[in-house]
Amino acid sequence: MTERKEQLEEIAEERASLMKITMGPLIWAIHFVICYGLAAVTCAKGWDIEMARVGLLVFSVGSLGAIIWVGWNSWRQWNPHETGDYFNSWGRAEDRHHFLGHAAFLLAIISFLGVVFTSLPLVMLGGCQ
Amino acid sequence: MTDYRQDRSALPKPSGTYPPTEEMLAEPVPDEVQAAQAERLRAAWATPKGFRYWTAVNNSEVGKWYCLTALFFMLLAGVMALLIRAQLAVPESELISADRFNQLFTMHGSAMMFLFAVPMFEAISILLLPGMLGARDMPFPRLSAFGYWCFLIGGVFVIGSIFFDAAPRAGWFMYPPLATEDEGPGSDIWLLGLSFIEVASIAAAVELIVGTLKCRPPGMRVNIMPLYAWYVMVVGGMILFAFPPLIAGDFLFELERSFDWPFFDPERGGDPMLWQHLFWIFGHPEVYIVFLPSIAIAAMIIPTVARRPIVGYSWIVLSAVGTGFLSFGLWVHHMFTTGLPTISLGFFSAASEAVVIPTGVQIFAFLATLMVGRVKMTLPMLWIAGALAIFTMGGLTGVMLALAPFDFQAHDTYFVVAHLHYTLFGGMVFPVIAGVYYFFPFIQKKQLSERLGRWAFWLIFCGFNLTFLPMHLTGLWGMPRRIYTYPTGLGWDGLNLISTVGAFIIAAGFAVFVWDLVRPKHRQPQIKRNPWEAGTLEWTHDVPEEAWGIRSIPHVTSRYPLWDQPEMQARIDTGRYYLPDAAEGRRETLVTSVIDAEPIQVQRVTGPAWITQAAAAFTGGAFIFPTFHWYPPAIVCAVLAVCCIIYWLWTSTARVPEAPSKDAGLGLTLPTYASGHASVGWWAMWITMLGDATAFASLVFGFFFYWTSQDDFPPEGAMHAEPWLVGLAALGLAAAWALTVGARELNRRWMVGAARACLAVAPLAAAGGAAALMVSVLELEPETHVYPAVLWALAIWVTVHAGAGVIMQLYCLAGSVFGKLTPRYDADIWNVSLYWHFQVLAALVTCAVMGLAPGVL
Repeated sequence: MTERKEQLEEIAEERASLMKITMGPLIWAIHFVICYGLAAVTCAKGWDIEMARVGLLVFSVGSLGAIIWVGWNSWRQWNPHETGDYFNSWGRAEDRHHFLGHAAFLLAIISFLGVVFTSLPLVMLGGCQ
Repeated sequence: MTDYRQDRSALPKPSGTYPPTEEMLAEPVPDEVQAAQAERLRAAWATPKGFRYWTAVNNSEVGKWYCLTALFFMLLAGVMALLIRAQLAVPESELISADRFNQLFTMHGSAMMFLFAVPMFEAISILLLPGMLGARDMPFPRLSAFGYWCFLIGGVFVIGSIFFDAAPRAGWFMYPPLATEDEGPGSDIWLLGLSFIEVASIAAAVELIVGTLKCRPPGMRVNIMPLYAWYVMVVGGMILFAFPPLIAGDFLFELERSFDWPFFDPERGGDPMLWQHLFWIFGHPEVYIVFLPSIAIAAMIIPTVARRPIVGYSWIVLSAVGTGFLSFGLWVHHMFTTGLPTISLGFFSAASEAVVIPTGVQIFAFLATLMVGRVKMTLPMLWIAGALAIFTMGGLTGVMLALAPFDFQAHDTYFVVAHLHYTLFGGMVFPVIAGVYYFFPFIQKKQLSERLGRWAFWLIFCGFNLTFLPMHLTGLWGMPRRIYTYPTGLGWDGLNLISTVGAFIIAAGFAVFVWDLVRPKHRQPQIKRNPWEAGTLEWTHDVPEEAWGIRSIPHVTSRYPLWDQPEMQARIDTGRYYLPDAAEGRRETLVTSVIDAEPIQVQRVTGPAWITQAAAAFTGGAFIFPTFHWYPPAIVCAVLAVCCIIYWLWTSTARVPEAPSKDAGLGLTLPTYASGHASVGWWAMWITMLGDATAFASLVFGFFFYWTSQDDFPPEGAMHAEPWLVGLAALGLAAAWALTVGARELNRRWMVGAARACLAVAPLAAAGGAAALMVSVLELEPETHVYPAVLWALAIWVTVHAGAGVIMQLYCLAGSVFGKLTPRYDADIWNVSLYWHFQVLAALVTCAVMGLAPGVL
């Protein structure tokens, strides 16, 4: 019974915002802007690019961790194992709840790949020239 | 903030039964009631006749004009392309002069992008979205009309310049110094004309986002809304973040052109690269702004022809949202050869490859739907198939070009021309034409010809490949873009001739298509209501046409209601659902909650008016006169435009309703007024200000860009803004904000006198703050160096916004005095406070940059 109540509360909570599903892409965007910005300033001002590289790689790992966390949460919200419903194509509140979890989960995957892609130049290229 | 409605008993809350029970829905409506309701609705939504037809603001009329105007500009730009191809058909041709050629390719690109592709998205969405959402109209019909008239005036002005040999000629991306130093008005026409149109685009984006979020039918939660609506929301959001950087860039560019402030002049500390960044931060997302809504049309057609729900709805949502985000991380791939650090190129190359993943996901979802469905190869599907084939090829060359070393070779050659035409024809032109064939019965209540459609398809498809496939080779063999002629013997002659022949075949295809579109169809028998047997709401439309949009607004419980809720059509037609009547003779639509679409308000929408045209015409004057440096008439126009807009808002928005709530049908009583975040106006303000804040952020980005690109910024010994005046400005503008918010709070606690006092003092504080900011930079000479110039630009930006804020405060004061704004009906002041939240932030950032940065950097 309490579980049911908690679930209802959670459904009520997410009414407030659609933005939740953009959490993963937002982490990607922040990561991307910081990587580009710091690398550009470092190269323009002649700072130590090695330091920046290492720092950014650590930041990449942190961002990936955050995305995994978002992905895990949204996987639980989608919850296809227990509901047995992978599509959530009907108009009930639960459907919408699981759907937002599903969308956020998929977006976490794409954001994860995005951060990996963005980090590749840090590993493979390194220098300013 | 969340409780304000609960402690204020004044505004009623929705009451009654929701969701409706099956018994309520099954109860028939008596015939005479139906007839009387329909009569009243018809009267309220009647389209004006005769000359007054042009005052119409209904989405079906405005959408049609918008589409036809965009089509007309497209055809003109297409003719320009034919002239370009005719000139290039043979080597050393003398058909067109070099200067004329420059104007042609500049205008071809600019018109296709700004006057066709983006406006076409807005046009189609304005036309279709209310139907798909079962709404009577968009939430702000006059705003759509205003946007359309702005587009028409601006478009005619920009494209007309080519007939006077005065068109812009520096390429559609207007790179400085070529464009800044170009003689004649060409560059100014581009900058001011297109800025004007961008404003209209942002207006349309606001309209479409609010429409999607707030005007869905009851029960249509986000997980069951049509995919088209998802795409519209994503693209609307992208417009808000993509167009403002260009507007900021245009602002700087025009200051350089008009007053010689050296933003892009390296001799005085400026940097042409800043323009490239601002342009492409707009320019690359713009490609996806064009592509996503067109592929959204495919997402509507494919389930219909496959006769089954789309496979992977969530995957397509992922792909739309993911592409929307990733597309902002690609802009530097247009600048690979500008000498940026290798590692920066690496980031953008990687992101350019990553965006292929979500883009590919949706294509695979479409293919999967077709694979598992029982496909009926209709004419729209033929065009979609062509689109997928062509777009995939464009995507593959995109993957090649995203690799910096390959791009170094192919940059500025015809390979790029081939690539971009493959993506835009496949990603935009073909799906849009598919949409025209598919939705024509919905739009005009007539069918287009199957036979002519197939002719048009094969002509355009073959012509297209004949034109652009050889261009890959022309490019790889070294032919650069934008040259008006070439010597013989380089191996380009035959390929160019083939391309030219192909271009004329495309033109023949378009001639067939346009003829099919405009030929008289009076004798055609009445069409079936749902000719494709689709499952989405727009196919509940009335045949023959009715102007009311939908007879009654249904309760929706699935993604394909016409397939899953078989009784729906009859119930809509008999007025069984919501808002079946227009008892007060007013135009109304239903406003629902953002996520779950629970009905919350009956929204009065605006009707036909001349004021929107007047506002658009004067706004046009304010943008167009400065092109010729005629500043006095421009200022007069700007003042008149503001007057028109104030009159329009005062007479028709957020009016005190005659009753606080009304019966919406099916036992539900809804309020007729909303303020704060429950109202559509508040959302519109929020979204507009998000775009405005992005433009401001682009200016601040410019300031720091100069800092990174130069060794001494601010330069040694430069004069700075007067610090105490900057401090005073921050205080004054912050006080103006605090007084506005204070007035809102006092007003809703019934302390009307105190609220009015705040609203009377706030403009003084704002004006004083803005004046202090301008005086603080008065001694600086913006022509001498980019540092004083950028400080001036920031000060002007904040001052102009403070001016708008003052007008809004006075508007609220007047509203309070004349009974338009009361403690109960206070939407205006909520919206104005929201405006000031953003402005105080911009003002404080500006003051920090002007006052503190000289000491820190």
